[in-house]
Amino acid sequence: MDPAGLLLTVSVAAFFVGAALGPLGRRGPYLGSLVGSAGLGIVAVLVLAGGSVTGATWAGPLGDVEGLTLDPLAAFFALAAALVWVATSVYSLTYDDRRSPLLAITYALTLGSIALLIAASDQVLFLIGWETMTLASYGMILQAKGPGERIFSAAFVFLAFGEASTLFISLAFAGLRVGTGVFAFGPHLGPGDLATLVFVAGLLGFGIKMGIAPFHLSEWLPIAHSSAPSNASAVLSSTLTLAGAYGLFRLVSLLSSPPLWWGAVVLAIGAISALLGALFAAVSEHSKGLPAYSTIENNGLILVALGVALLAQSDGVHELYVFALFAAFYQALAHAIAKTGLFLSAGYIEHTAHTFDLNSVEGQAKSGSRGEFGGTIIATLSLAAGPPLAGFVSEWMVLEALFQSYRFGQSWVEFVGLLAGAAVALAAGLIVVAMVKFVGFSMLWRPRPSGAGPPESRLGGVVGAVGAMVLAIGVLAPWILRFIAPAVSGFAGSSVAAPVGQLLAVPDGWSILSGSPFGILSPPMIPFIVVAGAAVAAGYYALGRPRPRRRVPIWMAGSPPGQPGETYTSFGYGTGIRIMMRSVLSTREVRAETGESSGAGVDPVAAYNVDLEVFDAFKLFYEALVRLGQGTSAVLKAAVMPGRLGRYLAYILIVVLLVVMYVAAFY
Amino acid sequence: MSAVRPSETEPFDPYGPERALAYSPEDATFALFNDYATGRPVLRHGIRIPVPTEVRATWQRSRTPELTRSAGPMETIEGYGIFTFPYGPVSMGVPESGKFEVRTYGERILSLEPVTGFKSRRILTSIAGQPISDGALRIERLAGNFSAAHAAAYLAAAESAAGIEVPEGELWVRALAQELQRIYNHVHVLARLAEAASQNVGAAQTHALAEEMLRIQGSIFGHRWLFGALLPGGPRRHLDAADRRDLGRRLNLHSEQFERLWELFLGSRTFIDRIQATCPVRREEALRWGAVGPTLRACGVAWDDRLRVPVTPYNDLFLELSQESAGDALARMLVRAREVQSSYLLLEQMLDRWPRDPGRLLSPAPPVAPGRGLARVESPSGDLVYDVTASDGRVTRIGMRAASQANIPLFARGLRNGVFTDFHFAWESFGLVFAEIDA
Amino acid sequence: MPTWIGQAARNGIVTSRYPAEPATDAEVPETARPPIPLRGDAALHDGVARCPVGAISEEELDRGKCIRCARCRPAGFEFRGPVEASTGRRAELRVGSAAPAGPGLVEALPPLVGFPRSLHVFLVDAGSCNACNLEVLALANPLYDSQRLGIFFTSSPRHADVLLVVGIPTPEMAPAVLRAYEALPAPKAVIAAGVCPISGGAFAGTPGLLAGLEELVPVDVFVPGCPPAPVEILDAILRVHGRARTAGGD
Ligand code: SF4
Ligand code: SF4
Repeated sequence: MDPAGLLLTVSVAAFFVGAALGPLGRRGPYLGSLVGSAGLGIVAVLVLAGGSVTGATWAGPLGDVEGLTLDPLAAFFALAAALVWVATSVYSLTYDDRRSPLLAITYALTLGSIALLIAASDQVLFLIGWETMTLASYGMILQAKGPGERIFSAAFVFLAFGEASTLFISLAFAGLRVGTGVFAFGPHLGPGDLATLVFVAGLLGFGIKMGIAPFHLSEWLPIAHSSAPSNASAVLSSTLTLAGAYGLFRLVSLLSSPPLWWGAVVLAIGAISALLGALFAAVSEHSKGLPAYSTIENNGLILVALGVALLAQSDGVHELYVFALFAAFYQALAHAIAKTGLFLSAGYIEHTAHTFDLNSVEGQAKSGSRGEFGGTIIATLSLAAGPPLAGFVSEWMVLEALFQSYRFGQSWVEFVGLLAGAAVALAAGLIVVAMVKFVGFSMLWRPRPSGAGPPESRLGGVVGAVGAMVLAIGVLAPWILRFIAPAVSGFAGSSVAAPVGQLLAVPDGWSILSGSPFGILSPPMIPFIVVAGAAVAAGYYALGRPRPRRRVPIWMAGSPPGQPGETYTSFGYGTGIRIMMRSVLSTREVRAETGESSGAGVDPVAAYNVDLEVFDAFKLFYEALVRLGQGTSAVLKAAVMPGRLGRYLAYILIVVLLVVMYVAAFY
Repeated sequence: MSAVRPSETEPFDPYGPERALAYSPEDATFALFNDYATGRPVLRHGIRIPVPTEVRATWQRSRTPELTRSAGPMETIEGYGIFTFPYGPVSMGVPESGKFEVRTYGERILSLEPVTGFKSRRILTSIAGQPISDGALRIERLAGNFSAAHAAAYLAAAESAAGIEVPEGELWVRALAQELQRIYNHVHVLARLAEAASQNVGAAQTHALAEEMLRIQGSIFGHRWLFGALLPGGPRRHLDAADRRDLGRRLNLHSEQFERLWELFLGSRTFIDRIQATCPVRREEALRWGAVGPTLRACGVAWDDRLRVPVTPYNDLFLELSQESAGDALARMLVRAREVQSSYLLLEQMLDRWPRDPGRLLSPAPPVAPGRGLARVESPSGDLVYDVTASDGRVTRIGMRAASQANIPLFARGLRNGVFTDFHFAWESFGLVFAEIDA
Repeated sequence: MPTWIGQAARNGIVTSRYPAEPATDAEVPETARPPIPLRGDAALHDGVARCPVGAISEEELDRGKCIRCARCRPAGFEFRGPVEASTGRRAELRVGSAAPAGPGLVEALPPLVGFPRSLHVFLVDAGSCNACNLEVLALANPLYDSQRLGIFFTSSPRHADVLLVVGIPTPEMAPAVLRAYEALPAPKAVIAAGVCPISGGAFAGTPGLLAGLEELVPVDVFVPGCPPAPVEILDAILRVHGRARTAGGD
């Protein structure tokens, strides 16, 4: 084992060692995770710069050689995850000062199992990592505060979707095993019915984890309904979905020559998810539900880019294929980092304002932490695709890829592209509303409450650092794209170059080109232009006639401002969308008479409770699940406590074996 | 359009049997008028009409900084994300001072509660002890754009209370002034509605037409707002034949111009569509809450004080009742427009049959109780009631119920479930004036 | 077929020429202008008892109190004073028996500093009868068209230069008036339009009401009248700008 391999092995092990130290105190798991993620990040950089690294290997239970290895494709996801985890682990050291050590232990286990599945060289190890991840994060959700029933039902939904996803993935892997003859990732599977089975099962399995439509419930519900701890939500939303994306990318990369309809399906599902996610984010009032919905939107965008890539691949439009792949990768990276910032910010808000309800959050802007303020603004701006931030670059790339769907030969594909383009554009608009609402109602528009606690500068510092990352990923995009080119090459199976180049007076390599060229964007130039513009304005201001600054108090039509109950609520901010999109949201007003209070007038005064409800049809499904869950809750509670993981690992192996045998017999 | 002329023999009761309780003067207590609690005074000709109740404007008259709003909201609305949107007291949308507290979850108005009393000038209490003629100066200035109606009702009640005989010519001047001012106010409402609907040319033209009416009033009575035009005992100015000719000529031009503008408005789909179905008032609601004037007539109730309780000269003139049934802002505007037309007609009849000046002396209406007179006139926005007690030529007590007080609850109710952008159309369509609500 | 354009064209230009030319009789009835004691001291002497608001004393006539009820006309008062009666000093509203009949009664104010270009005006109703409000709003109609003179009405005091107050301040409205004044960015000017905010007008002396706007905020221009006609208000706004028709001007 070379030093890099050793570092990989040690890093993955560090998470589990940290978890094992859990009973001694909360710091152990978090420090272990910090060390592990830092190490993983270093290895990932080495891989992207130099090539695959192999760590410990051993003989698996079925005789195959399995072990830890990081190829460029895996390294990209490892790097994104590591960046997130370093931030969340540092954050957790301050944030988690009140909860049971179980949170820390399950946290480290979740991270470790994701690291394991990314570094897994074969399907079995991947599945072990996958299932451990599901169970460990289930344990993490159970650590939420609040009414027990609600938490349990949220956790149950999570587990139910998680197991469904495991089953589909097992099926997909079994097909892969049958087609290629080995468990190891490597050999490609040619076109055919088996490939279709693998693709569909994989899309379902990983799609569930990514929270794409119609499984978006699996994404938002556990987070919003359990009010899971914020470090946990950041990991759940940013990196669990990253793991799903990794799995999907890995699987698809192993299927050669996809038929045209695969791409169309992925594109359609992605577009619908993006739209639904953005729509529900815009009408969500939960400081963590809103980011969770936005995750659905982002994962939808990843699928859109992947769909365009697949279409381009089967249609032989190589240039677009490569560009769309870069877009998909960049979208995954940008989202993971920015979303982490948002969840950590939600945790900070919870820490100071003691609520997850955006309607009752009092403004944090003046509460002292510049890092928190700046970091949150940057993260939300990025998720709302504000230039020159990471989200802006990635969304630009996704849209650029989508706009080139006219290059496809068949008109129905162009039509799908057109519809997807419309949905994505609408989603892009709606998500701006959601993000403005988040940052506005949590940071900007309300005065600081008088009884607010002291600012937690360390928490704020982490959010600020994440914000800096988001900015860097945006501005330095051309260089990062070049840096991750090996990962894209790993996916494509052949060496590809990053879509950067030169146009006009911008130095060579400073611009991202789509097509040849279709569109052009130079993120590094944006700060220059902004600074130059600011300089001109400042110069004009300095040289011109001095204008007195006229500063006056707020005017509220003659009424005293700032009366309690008289400020616009975040709910009110989203009502326009609730009413406008009522056909999709099934908006309805529910009015219930709550009694009569006799006023001084002649007639008694009726009292009403009025709620404007939006309705997600898939909630019916959830409710059925919960009913099921309540029936089996006692059994489940006893069975799935983290202490009995061993039994579950055995169960996975059995499932995998059964499915492999079944598929083998079938073909 | 329906033209209803109530017959004198058949008692007409628009309010249903449960509302037609027997009248006794004791019901109409001073507190009733001043505080607007329930009460059902009766009028001449045996027709009973309740003083519309529910105007819950029991503001404080002492110098307390605290405003009393209407006695609590009509409904209390709670719910997730619902907040109170305060509008006023100083907003350009409503050029007068008054406040509205809107309960909303954004966009939609769930309930709206007017808060009145900001402009309370304590006029009614301050008149007590003053000579009747000095009181008239304040009454005219109670609501400047309804000055003729207020002055006429106040004077009629005071003359009845004090037993002052009135020359017939004075009554004709009062009616003339009221009709001129009715035209001004209805045209002004049309201009404001057009403004709210961004009908800029129409709004400008209509505002010019309203201004022309102010100029007509100024040249006839020497005051653009008719202040000082009506006095107990005799008008500030008698109209001679030349004056009447001049007035008739100007009114002709005015009415021609109005007809042209109104035809254009009726042809403007954007304008009609915007006010149609805005802030609807149902008939039952209007009766229950005591709506008056164009608001009442727009939802199918045939009531106009000029027809129901006609005083000289209205009992000699032909007047067509304008009535609509939809109850929305459009219906109110249609009623107003036809009233403008009928007012031109009334003015034409008056100028034709102008009595010899100053005319015979008429005795005032009999007092409802010794020293106490009651009068009601149809102000531009509806039924206006004055209750004046006087002794030795001085006012001792005065009560008043203005049209805006009666109609404001309907405005508030009609806007429920509307959206914010309905607000201005709704407000203008009722012709509400805070000055007469706050007095 | 009639159209709005045709309608507008038919009426032609109806806009007032004030202040380039003096106010016409149509704009302000010649019998409804500021009063002048035509018979001098005798008029003042006879008028004292007639005036319902105490605007007349043996020495002078206080236009800041006069509600133009014309009851003093038999005593020898005429209502043909100059339309340009607004003034920056309350004392200048008090005129003696020698008040001239023609225009140019009141000295032009030096322009208030800080308003080099257009003027933005915010209207506050402190407790009016609505007539003053409507006269102010009339300035925006095509007959007066204040925009031709660079005068605009704003919907927030924060965007305004001038606070135009009408009505007698009630205790309920006083806080709102103060808030509006504070929300007005400096440099700012306050116009008290109508006798209500100057002296209480017809309601002077009512217990519970403020005696005048000056109890609340400093007043820069006083406009007598009840209500002042649109051109009289226009004159006051122009006075803030130093553009009012001046003493003895045509
Ligand atoms: S017109 Fe003026 S001065 Fe003459 S009596 Fe009336 S208020 Fe007094
Ligand atoms: S000054 Fe006269 S017109 Fe103006 S608000 Fe006062 S009473 Fe009304």
